[in-house]
Amino acid sequence: MSAVLEIRDLHLRFRGHSGVSEVLHGVSLDIRAGERVALVGESGSGKSVTARIVLGLLQELPYAEVSGGLFLEGADLNRLSRRQWQGLRGTSISMIFQDPTSSLNPVFTIGAQFAEVLRRRDPGLPRGAADERAGALLRSVSIHDHARVLDAYPFQLSGGMNQRVVIAMALANHPSLLIADEPGTALDVTVQAQTLKLMHDLVERSGTAVLFISHNLGVVREFADRVFVIYRGRIVERGPTAAIFEAPGHAYTRALMAAVPRITGGGPPEPNDGETAFLDPMVVHEGGGA
Amino acid sequence: MTPLLSLRHVSKTFGSGPRAVRAVRDVSFDVSRGECLAVVGESGSGKTTLANMILGVFGQSSGEIRFDGRALPSRRTLEHRSAIQLVQQNPLSSLNPKRSVGASIRLGLDVFGIGRRSDRWRLVENALEEVGLPGDFRRRAPAALSGGQCQRVAIARALACQPRLVILDEPTSALDVLVQARVLRLLDGLRRTKGLSYVFITHDLSVVRNVADRVAVFRSGELVECAETGAIFENPRADYTRRLIGAVPVITDHELKLRESLSGGLPA
Ligand SMILES: Nc1ncnc2c1ncn2[C@@H]1O[C@H](COP(=O)(O)OP(=O)(O)O)[C@@H](O)[C@H]1O
Ligand SMILES: Nc1ncnc2c1ncn2[C@@H]1O[C@H](COP(=O)(O)OP(=O)(O)O)[C@@H](O)[C@H]1O
Ligand SMILES: [Mg+2]
Ligand SMILES: [Mg+2]
Repeated sequence: MSAVLEIRDLHLRFRGHSGVSEVLHGVSLDIRAGERVALVGESGSGKSVTARIVLGLLQELPYAEVSGGLFLEGADLNRLSRRQWQGLRGTSISMIFQDPTSSLNPVFTIGAQFAEVLRRRDPGLPRGAADERAGALLRSVSIHDHARVLDAYPFQLSGGMNQRVVIAMALANHPSLLIADEPGTALDVTVQAQTLKLMHDLVERSGTAVLFISHNLGVVREFADRVFVIYRGRIVERGPTAAIFEAPGHAYTRALMAAVPRITGGGPPEPNDGETAFLDPMVVHEGGGA
Repeated sequence: MTPLLSLRHVSKTFGSGPRAVRAVRDVSFDVSRGECLAVVGESGSGKTTLANMILGVFGQSSGEIRFDGRALPSRRTLEHRSAIQLVQQNPLSSLNPKRSVGASIRLGLDVFGIGRRSDRWRLVENALEEVGLPGDFRRRAPAALSGGQCQRVAIARALACQPRLVILDEPTSALDVLVQARVLRLLDGLRRTKGLSYVFITHDLSVVRNVADRVAVFRSGELVECAETGAIFENPRADYTRRLIGAVPVITDHELKLRESLSGGLPA
């Protein structure tokens, strides 16, 4: 069976005043049907740019040079016109960003925004029918007073409520791929934990494949089936979540894990140095559909 | 021995009438000499308001704050201002972008009259070295520093004022995990070698577990629980504390077991 998403040997360079900077050095990644795959690494490692390339957004920048294979359900994305690629966003590929409130449009009600999202797939959908579908979607994220929420503006709702709305909208058109870039990082920990669990259950039920981007190893461990660890634009380790967390093989992954404070205690974490080994070859754990 | 810092029935209300925000409500706790007290709570729970009252940025609406056995006046003396220092979350915005790193650190020495004038650049360099940066970093501009270096400079600036109490308001929340680990170790070591007291404000309970002697849990301006760190993580009393612990992302099975045993039965 072919992958939902396949990224092959992706390279990215930015041309700037002070010359060219290489951001991705041959990233390969695949996500199978129904799989939740995490891309984890520190800030600046190249997680968001990878997502933006899948969405076709970086290719629109005149100073970005992108090369590599990109396939969505077997179809070669590089052969699409700009308009065709735009047409995938919000339909076949949807996304969730860090801050739910700022990713909603402040001047439209939730109901109006749902209608716009649904009309991307279903252009003539009347508002009444859109509200009905939106209501059902809101129920799926445990929002039961959906009439009030549909009439509200984002600023009238809590961050956690907006996050649920964003999750419901992202899944409204039954995308083949959901990209979640640091979802909920701007929210409180209890709200983040709740909404992640909700998103987990929902994508599991609908069988949606997810590219889950995060810098937080704990969150990744709870959410993902498989993990890709990225360091400075290179995948340094990949494998099933359990294998990576039980036996991290790459020096960088081990350093990351050693640096996470444990709720079981033991004092401030002792990061092992030896950054030279962070550039060692990739470690691959087989299994988990890989 | 009297505690270094002592709050008794401290409240802060912003505004008045129906729009009044009761940001801190009847809070009492102590911080002893050499102790690290963690203040945890979600956003809006009143943590920064508390810090501002201790620092004297504004006064409390009611209650008393005592330092070293005496009530802190609403207009702080220079001595109090140097004795209680702050390190904030966002390292870059806490440094003046137009000043060199060294000038930012030196400002405190000049204001508080620490050391002889001719000696102060040397004190600035010492402070930088104490936080693991080379002394000649003093010539750098804040914009030329990484997040971790910036936070080290902010710590050096606080330490150069020879404080007895340092308020750390989410000091590592904006840092990557490898950088966070180094800054946490640095802070822990400095507290021990200098006998400092910390009020360590954070929303991250796994950090708290590893740096704090005691923990004060805040919710909506109220202190819901205050106990030794071990007790908080082994036998939390308040349901809210259990819920907070239940929401911590963990990376080992050992932690998962502890978390489940503490938060078991409660909705996440
Ligand atoms: N539009 C852009 N122009 C120039 N450089 C960029 C742009 N977007 C990202 N970068 C650089 O690419 C690198 C990777 O960025 P990003 O993917 O956002 O990191 P993260 O892993 O934190 O999401 C960083 O060094 C960043 O500064
Ligand atoms: N200067 C102010 N004027 C009015 N309300 C304020 C002010 N500062 C804080 N608040 C309110 O007080 C409450 C506590 O805020 P804060 O102490 O910043 O919380 P925390 O640091 O725990 O996130 C919040 O409801 C906040 O909106
Ligand atoms: Mg990013
Ligand atoms: Mg605050």
